[in-house]
Amino acid sequence: MKFSVYRYNPDADKKPYMQDYDIELHEEDHMLLDALIRIKEHDETLSLRKSCREGVCGSDAMNINGKNGLACITKLVDLEEPVVLRPMPGLPVIRDLVVDMTQFFEHYNSVKPYLVNNDPLPETERLQSPEDRAKLDGLYECILCGACTTSCPSFWWNPDKFVGPAGLMQAYRFIADSRDQAEAERLENLEDPYRLYRCHNIMNCVEVCPKKLNPNAAIAKIKDLKIERARERKITKKEIPIKVL
Amino acid sequence: MLIQLLTDKYPGMRLWLSQRLTAVIMASYVLFFVIMLIVQRPVGYEAWYTFVSPAWFRFATLLFFVCLFSHAWLGVRDVLRDYIFNLNLRNYLQMLVDILLVIYLAWVSVILWNI
Repeated sequence: MKFSVYRYNPDADKKPYMQDYDIELHEEDHMLLDALIRIKEHDETLSLRKSCREGVCGSDAMNINGKNGLACITKLVDLEEPVVLRPMPGLPVIRDLVVDMTQFFEHYNSVKPYLVNNDPLPETERLQSPEDRAKLDGLYECILCGACTTSCPSFWWNPDKFVGPAGLMQAYRFIADSRDQAEAERLENLEDPYRLYRCHNIMNCVEVCPKKLNPNAAIAKIKDLKIERARERKITKKEIPIKVL
Repeated sequence: MLIQLLTDKYPGMRLWLSQRLTAVIMASYVLFFVIMLIVQRPVGYEAWYTFVSPAWFRFATLLFFVCLFSHAWLGVRDVLRDYIFNLNLRNYLQMLVDILLVIYLAWVSVILWNI
């Protein structure tokens, strides 16, 4: 099977180049990651990240024939030859298919992806009703592979300012959590013209998500919620003097 | 109530909401225009003259174009900010867009009130 793989070693290469491989696959090689491991048997200088090999860790996200995806759950039979493999776009390349995800995780960190609850810890866990728990479906499954964020043109244009679909979906995951008490701060944290509102519904995120999640829907819910809360705040402010009287 | 959300206090929401509001107004106008066309079926100069003559119709059409140009201004502004990194060039282009849109609006007004 023919492959064309992006190669770049900043210590040795002046600029990136594409290297062709023609690999004899074995009967047990079904997924793209199997083929990449086979390539590495012939050329151990090729660098890539991999870990769980079953679409759970998100390590082997890369650009496959022009579309971001996970090598470990991409079937070889579905790919057109030569299979063109590049690192995820929009992030600095460390080497070959390995990108520096610092920016991605800084944005993720900026939305405080953890429960904020100032009540005393209960004896056991903080309980949720089945209905409240169901609100987190389609949000908590994100594996932070970065396929969505790095396929988003808004992120390519403003990687330092736009949080990106993955980060925003995690922001909504905690906004929607009935146990969280920092909804107002979380919404305020996304108010500037770039962090949230640079999403122009391009929908590449939905197209490429290997877990079939919908970051765009989460972003739309944050925008709706921001209007709702801002309007409620106006009403509450007007009511205060009346209550005092 | 919505107007209060279009203030400096909500810098991100203001731009996003403005684009949505102008889009809703434009869509409503287009729908209304098509319905009017179907109902009145103006054919010939006289019929069209009667169709567009009422003052309310001219103001509604002007509102449509104000929304169209505001919507376009917001969109082009984002595109320039995303693609033009040279600040001077970006400012010149933005100024050009601003002038063009003002000219277009004046042109539309002249056309509407000279029928």
